[in-house]
Amino acid sequence: MKFLLPHRYKKIGAVIAPLGFCLWLAMQLGYIKSLLLSIFGQLNASYEWSAYHIVNIAAAVLGFFFFLAGLYFVSFSKEKVEDEMVQKTRLESFQFAAFLQIIVTIAGFLFIMILGDPGESGMMLFFITLVVLFWLLFIGRFNYILHVKYKQ
Amino acid sequence: MKTTVKEERIKKQLTQVQLAELVGVSRQTIFSIEISKYVPSVVLSLKLAKVLGKKVEDIFKLEMSD
Repeated sequence: MKFLLPHRYKKIGAVIAPLGFCLWLAMQLGYIKSLLLSIFGQLNASYEWSAYHIVNIAAAVLGFFFFLAGLYFVSFSKEKVEDEMVQKTRLESFQFAAFLQIIVTIAGFLFIMILGDPGESGMMLFFITLVVLFWLLFIGRFNYILHVKYKQ
Repeated sequence: MKTTVKEERIKKQLTQVQLAELVGVSRQTIFSIEISKYVPSVVLSLKLAKVLGKKVEDIFKLEMSD
């Protein structure tokens, strides 16, 4: 593939993806707001809502952006020696991830049909999970296969 | 597919790393080819044959299962 990034981006991605995920998770679990409250204390109700809300949203957006950028860097970076076996492994890993994503999509929709509408946020979470799952499966499989081959 | 890359490499007194550098792939790729875990492309097969001083059909042979 001609649009692959240099190898150093893989290391950058491996650092920023978990950091971004942690930031996003911290916002989801309310840790960011708790931290703000512990540092700045209780604020005027309207100001507290707007200031803390903006920081919360910014943390979520930044966290998710860094997470996705990290996944992109890890997925689309060249290996140290980018030869045809690595390219074949990359292609097979894409196929593997796509196959499993379809299985999970079908299973998810069957689950929704049986258990009922999960609501707007539930559906949103389901679709985000589907998108992220593909990249996680691809990265996991690709690096596992390379790791096994490099150990030989 | 059966291969005699390992035998020919040893005859030429080349290590896996040296052969890999000569044909522009990783050592792991040479290892995978030698143990028949990876079937190389036509281009790589031709490069290997050239470096080992053999014809492609001398270093790669079809088996009944292929």
